[in-house]
Amino acid sequence: MGGLSGLTPGKKTEGYMARRGQVLKACIVLTAKLFFADPQWVIPSIIAPFIFTLVAFFLFGGQATSGSFLLYLVLGSGLMGMWGTTIYGSSNSIGFDRWNGTMESTLAAPIPLSWIALGRVLFNTFEGVINAVFILVIGLVWFQVGFGVVSPGLFFLASVSTFLSLSAFGLLMCTIILLSRKGGFITNSMEIPVYIATGTMFPVSILPIVALPFAFLLAPTWGIEAIRLSALPGYVGLATNYWEDLGILAVETLAYLGAAFLLFKRVEAYAKRNGTLEEY
Amino acid sequence: MRPPNSEVSDAIVVKGLTREYTSRSFFGTVSKVTKALDGIDFAVKKGELFGLIGPNGAGKTTTVKILTTLLTQTSGDAYILGLDVRKDLYEIRRRIGIVFGGERGLYNRVSALDNLRYFSDLYGVDPATARERIPQLLKAVGLADRADERVEKYSRGMKQRLHIAKALVHDPELLVLDEPTIGLDPGGARDIRNMIRELQKQGKSILLTTHYMFEAEELCQRVAVISKGKIVALDTPSELKKLVRDISVIELRTYGATADYLEALKRLPNVVRVVADLDSEVQTIRIQSPLGADLLSQVTSALPSDAKIIDRTIKEPTLEDAYLRLVEE
Repeated sequence: MGGLSGLTPGKKTEGYMARRGQVLKACIVLTAKLFFADPQWVIPSIIAPFIFTLVAFFLFGGQATSGSFLLYLVLGSGLMGMWGTTIYGSSNSIGFDRWNGTMESTLAAPIPLSWIALGRVLFNTFEGVINAVFILVIGLVWFQVGFGVVSPGLFFLASVSTFLSLSAFGLLMCTIILLSRKGGFITNSMEIPVYIATGTMFPVSILPIVALPFAFLLAPTWGIEAIRLSALPGYVGLATNYWEDLGILAVETLAYLGAAFLLFKRVEAYAKRNGTLEEY
Repeated sequence: MRPPNSEVSDAIVVKGLTREYTSRSFFGTVSKVTKALDGIDFAVKKGELFGLIGPNGAGKTTTVKILTTLLTQTSGDAYILGLDVRKDLYEIRRRIGIVFGGERGLYNRVSALDNLRYFSDLYGVDPATARERIPQLLKAVGLADRADERVEKYSRGMKQRLHIAKALVHDPELLVLDEPTIGLDPGGARDIRNMIRELQKQGKSILLTTHYMFEAEELCQRVAVISKGKIVALDTPSELKKLVRDISVIELRTYGATADYLEALKRLPNVVRVVADLDSEVQTIRIQSPLGADLLSQVTSALPSDAKIIDRTIKEPTLEDAYLRLVEE
């Protein structure tokens, strides 16, 4: 061993945003390394998307008469995969530390826990993007779906906005896991209702009226609408246009973020009072 | 209220610290209140290596958690480097390093380098500084050659050395070491103790909790003994040992000693306490008594016929003997 003397003194990063940027980057990089370190990453990112797409094509493929309907299916499958990964991955972003034995180290960091969780959630949602991309590739290559989106620029903007809204939603889910060790049951049980409510596979318009308020409160509903409006020629969904969808998406995403940061603050204070956060 | 200026020279100031844990029933009514800390007071000087010792459940971990801002006290005050643990948590966290004992606290599926990079970013170490400091730390703790290997392949001792590096990555002024040698083999534990000594020489303030009395005696300048949530003694190890200067210790190494033999020893007149480890093949039995060598013949005659004394020594009482008296009183 080389001895502990003569180490470079610890110079600190200054500035509010520089500090948070550094933490976000660190959490994204670590989460990515942990994700790829586990060979099972192919199950949610390659195998599951393939199954999603197959099921969708068996359900609807026979009725498909146009390339745009097939693209509708591929986009829906992609978003299902993306949501599924978000709900599992994001809600466990901090819960992972509980069973990994790193909760105390994470909580002891000189930064609000919400920023650590946000960095991890961003990568976990990005895992969903990997998933969605695989579904698109399967659709394009295997099922010969034409990918002629109406407006590539708007499609990209809608996709990025949906990614951010899913991340914000994932951050909100994270607080549920933190509040209760059994929070995983709640977040997992939301997977299928959200598939249905957001219209990933079936149009929201066919939902019963009682379910519509729930659907409208979910930002992905508007993200999916905007993606389809920008991608599918002649698509008629909800009675909103592309920019209205993006506007509602932005408002709801900000509301999720605000609620998540507030809840994180409360959860941290609660955990410090009760001393239960690191228990598994 | 912050401590007066004279006390800011202290690394840690604890005043009347109390912590209660409340258990609630399914309906939310309070079913049980457990007092983990019952108004403890102590102070650690800057640059001091201070030990906190006590049996399981005595309140050591609760104290450490409050001082490291992971838990809120029920009442009382605690200051770290003059900062209030209730209000200044992020500033405190920036200035302290924590080493947890056991397997906790590392990401095993990534490398030591990845762990240190992650924690240096989390603690806001300037990236240019981190690029210089992390290899230096890895070399210092003897992990430079295996820095790129996954931590899950490390031995227990290597993981603990990585813990030390992790705690130092942001160059903290105060180190809180919570049972840093627990579960280590003798060589690994010695390495960690040498590092602790070196850190203290560099002027770091250190709070050490440990189960191992010889470790506290060897390393700490002052020691607080905590029992049932209260500080029952606080002094230098040599002063604490004076609490048991009225006794000598007969240390036996035996083969084949049984629990019945221990009971027989306890019944002997003038035996204050008998402490033994019967689990290994060769057992160690420590008998505290004011009689010292005069008790040897009775100790020998109480031995069962199929057991054997390998070695016997009359020793001066250690910190462990003082500790046992304190926590059992």
